[in-house]
Amino acid sequence: MLRTSIAQGPAPTVYLAGEMDLDCADTLRDAVTEAARGAQMVALDFSNVEFIDSSGTGIFVRLALDLKSQGTPLVARNLSPAVRGVFDMLRVRELVGDEVFPD
Amino acid sequence: MADETSETPASLQVYRYRAGADGVEAVIGTLEPELPQEDLVAHADEALRRETFMCYAVSQPDDFVADELCFVPQGDRCDILSIRTNGWQRHHGDHRRSLVEILNNLAAAVACGKLRILDRDELVAERRRGRVVGRFGIADTADLQRARESVDVVLQQAGIDDINRQRTILCISEAVTNMLLHGGGHGDMVVRRLPDRLRFVVADEGPGLSFLNWIEPPSTGGQASMGYGYKIILDYLDAVALNTGPQGTTLLLDRMTN
Repeated sequence: MLRTSIAQGPAPTVYLAGEMDLDCADTLRDAVTEAARGAQMVALDFSNVEFIDSSGTGIFVRLALDLKSQGTPLVARNLSPAVRGVFDMLRVRELVGDEVFPD
Repeated sequence: MADETSETPASLQVYRYRAGADGVEAVIGTLEPELPQEDLVAHADEALRRETFMCYAVSQPDDFVADELCFVPQGDRCDILSIRTNGWQRHHGDHRRSLVEILNNLAAAVACGKLRILDRDELVAERRRGRVVGRFGIADTADLQRARESVDVVLQQAGIDDINRQRTILCISEAVTNMLLHGGGHGDMVVRRLPDRLRFVVADEGPGLSFLNWIEPPSTGGQASMGYGYKIILDYLDAVALNTGPQGTTLLLDRMTN
């Protein structure tokens, strides 16, 4: 199960905790949509994500591409080892662009 | 031209030739009538005789993408993989893998012995091997985490190291996700202990492997599939076997224990 919390501001951060799989789509999309309202950009903090699979990754990629097309860039910060390993394997950086990973 | 309205935008059919036989039999899918049996038999015989993987591009009339026939010798039999994409190509901006990549991944895995295609008799025999150490029903996405947690316990009890434990859990998540998305939405997973391995049997009663979802436009809301599930499974597990057809799909996922 994925849990989210939002630190509001002009560049809000959505803190993610738990597991990202097919089950997280609504939770993640709702949190990011709320955070993106009126924001210049949105950050996702992955430091407490313990597990992610290709479905969780696909949901993140889709969100990053959607926000980019809407003019609200999304950045990913503090990738946990579990997330970094899967993102590297699936070449996520190539799919969403280097700018999504400012760290 | 590409036919994106076709009911079969892409398919992987697998046929089997047994040395000395007059023809081939379908193991996955159905025997396409336009494929001449005598040519299949001749090529399969040659692959067996030379003990060499052989691959041919087959041009379709009015199509700009050639389909492929791969001959994979395996002892006294030759598996023949027929990959057809009907000219399907990746949409602009689509982050999902192309069908050609996915199907070629499967063909390569069969060619190098990582993936075994099982017929019904082989599946029945393989499903009886070892003793059952766990059984879980899968009915919705909430079961994904429960399945992973249950598998983690079994892997720890078997003394699997951390990296292979994490990789196995990832593969189970991919297999169960495939079942939920493409296998009728429910099924079960049985964990079996064999002398040298743990075997995770993920089975559904869905319509069989299908790639119909790949013709959805990339803007489809909630689309999570990137097409990497089978790649992850084939890269990270020690051995994989597959049976699929209109009666459902069964994956045998093996992690060696010694």
